[in-house]
Amino acid sequence: MEDTTMIWIEKYRPVTLADIVGQDDIVERLQSYVRTGNLPHLLFTGSAGVGKTTAAVALAREFFGESWNLNFRELNASDERGIDVVRNQIKQFARTSPLGGATFKILFLDEADALTPDAQAALRRTMESYATTCRFILSCNYSSKIIDPIQSRCAIYRFRSLSAEAITKEILRIAENEKISITGPAIQAIVYIAQGDMRKAINALQGAAILAQEIDAGMVYAITATARPDEIEDLLSTSLSGDFEGAEAILHHLLQDRGIAPNELINQCYRTIVRREMDPNLRVALIDQLGTTDFRLSEGASTDIQMEAMIAQFVLQARKHG
Amino acid sequence: MDWAEKYRPAHLDEVVGNSTALRQMLDWARTWSRDKKPLILYGKPGTGKTSSAHALAADMGWEVIELNASDQRTRAAIERTAVSGSTTASLTGAQRKLIVIDEADNLHGTADRGGARAILDLIRGSRQPVILIANDLYAIPGEIRSRCDGVQFKALQARSIAPRLRYICAAEKISCSEQALHQIAEAAHGDMRAAVNMLYASASGRERLSEEILPSGKDDRSSIFDLIVAIYGNTAPEALLKIAYDVDETPDTLIQWIEANLEGIPEIDDLSAAYSCLSRADEYLGYTYRQQYHTLWRYATSLMVLGVGSVADRRGLHARITPPERWKRMSSYQKQKAVRSSMLRKVSSSLHMPQRTFLETYMSPLGIVIDRDPLTYAREFSLDADELDLFLHDRARAASVTRALAAEEKAEVTKKERETKSRRKQEEGGKMRQKELPAKREEAPLPEPPAEKSSQKSQKTLFEGF
Repeated sequence: MEDTTMIWIEKYRPVTLADIVGQDDIVERLQSYVRTGNLPHLLFTGSAGVGKTTAAVALAREFFGESWNLNFRELNASDERGIDVVRNQIKQFARTSPLGGATFKILFLDEADALTPDAQAALRRTMESYATTCRFILSCNYSSKIIDPIQSRCAIYRFRSLSAEAITKEILRIAENEKISITGPAIQAIVYIAQGDMRKAINALQGAAILAQEIDAGMVYAITATARPDEIEDLLSTSLSGDFEGAEAILHHLLQDRGIAPNELINQCYRTIVRREMDPNLRVALIDQLGTTDFRLSEGASTDIQMEAMIAQFVLQARKHG
Repeated sequence: MDWAEKYRPAHLDEVVGNSTALRQMLDWARTWSRDKKPLILYGKPGTGKTSSAHALAADMGWEVIELNASDQRTRAAIERTAVSGSTTASLTGAQRKLIVIDEADNLHGTADRGGARAILDLIRGSRQPVILIANDLYAIPGEIRSRCDGVQFKALQARSIAPRLRYICAAEKISCSEQALHQIAEAAHGDMRAAVNMLYASASGRERLSEEILPSGKDDRSSIFDLIVAIYGNTAPEALLKIAYDVDETPDTLIQWIEANLEGIPEIDDLSAAYSCLSRADEYLGYTYRQQYHTLWRYATSLMVLGVGSVADRRGLHARITPPERWKRMSSYQKQKAVRSSMLRKVSSSLHMPQRTFLETYMSPLGIVIDRDPLTYAREFSLDADELDLFLHDRARAASVTRALAAEEKAEVTKKERETKSRRKQEEGGKMRQKELPAKREEAPLPEPPAEKSSQKSQKTLFEGF
């Protein structure tokens, strides 16, 4: 495959455990399993794009070497619509003996918290009865949604949201490899957009790299259809100062000229309001307004009217709590 | 090898904690006769239920027949393994065989059809001691539960987990700092298996272990306390939200905890302001579930955390943090619901009418009839004490009726057995001795046991027979 057509999130997915960034403690523990040749069942928790799947695949590669593909299977509990398929596939995979001299196989079950408690009870049986031939790595967003008996049988690893440094490091590595130059503000923009999610960060970088060999912050915001933080601050401070017309003009500019999706705008306003210095009661009132608008939009209400109504409410609430 | 297996206690005196439960088991085993009820060992995972059952057998010199999770729990399977095991003599010459049925609270759904019924038959017909193991006592069908004695296994204290970890470290020749051991023991939240797994996860392949990198424990419930403290404290909004996300509980659990701990805000004006934030948050939870649009969750979280936080306004928390009272009420409500639905199933199927029809039109008149002669009707519908109480509204009376019924049943069994014995004696004179028959009684068939959980969500049963 040509390099230019390759998706970077796959191209730069870490191959070995040592390549994984931002999860040093976890990587160290996983490497020691490889050294001893032993592996308990594992439970990975954490939000999207922090390296759960990558860690599982890398672990399998280091355990099995060449034959990793034969002894590793990845399933997504929420994708596989027919639960029978999952059931049969899991059992089929778990009960056959490992290949290529491996002592066990690894089954990676993504989004395991999508399984109902009863389905998890059944999964527990499978885990126990095939424990000699198969190790399970479960991954989920909330470990509290995994039933206690399974938690009790797994070593639990919580993957943290990636730090700005970890994302910066990886972006610089890729940029160097792809021979593109990227400005400091552009990296900050990527970090702002990614919110700890490496997949988002790399996607933004690849998107911007299509535009030019030299990437600046403007391109990053443009390609990801994201408003700059200062634009959001401008929108908020104008409406909170009581200037409805001024705020309306900014809103129109962002929505129509810049083509930013209303949901994304709400999302960014939310992030700013949470962080911004303001009266606590006003903050709560504004968040409630954002939520109301978000809900109405999801119900199919008209974008322009709802967004303007939201700004009007911002003005009103600011006056009330001023 | 997995340390949790490797260091599974072989004898009762090696089992950590729960000494009352262990004594109860030992007494039961030492004085075991066919009149003894089977035991149900119940409690949270990793508290030593399975280990104790096996250790007990080892100490008594009994053989173990285990029916566990991996078996498809159909009636036939149980009968094949357990009923034959319980009535025929042992090959190894062990005196008795202990039948252990693990995960007895997961008997429901199509794949286990008849499984509960078979266990019931096994319990009544067994000539060998039987132990059932479950996490949730009330998830076991009432007919089974009422014929067994419960033995509760409680979560272990961190200070009793630590010595066991120290022992394992010594056996594995790993030097380990006291602080690391205590950290693991605390993080395990009373679950020995989790503690040993954590130790294994952090120590395998090393020669020494200090309090550096340990894998995370089981769900860290204590951080929900951190959240409550932070809400009442002087915490920046962003930091407060970060704690809320770190708690690793869904917002619908958080809101219950926050509501349960509003006591710190006694003034009615402030309290009602706090409640209106919670109520808005709750609306967002409703939208989230109705629309499956999880972005709305964040508004629920912010409103409950920041909203109540701004009302609490750094006043600090002076009361003890308590878990949601509603949960306690809910668990007793769930029990009530289970009793009610199992009664409905039994009665309406014997009367050949839809449950709803029975409930609306026939329940009260039948109550009057039953009140006249509870014993007969309890026998006819095979009601247990809780179910009978729904008609009698008199707990003590319902209990005494079911006791009488149980005595009757037992007398019946003994009589049947005596008859079989005398018949066998006659036969022995002439023919070769025939193969021993399981002591099965002909009785009015029991209705299908209640599949308590499975009726709630149809999807739940799809994974059965995994």
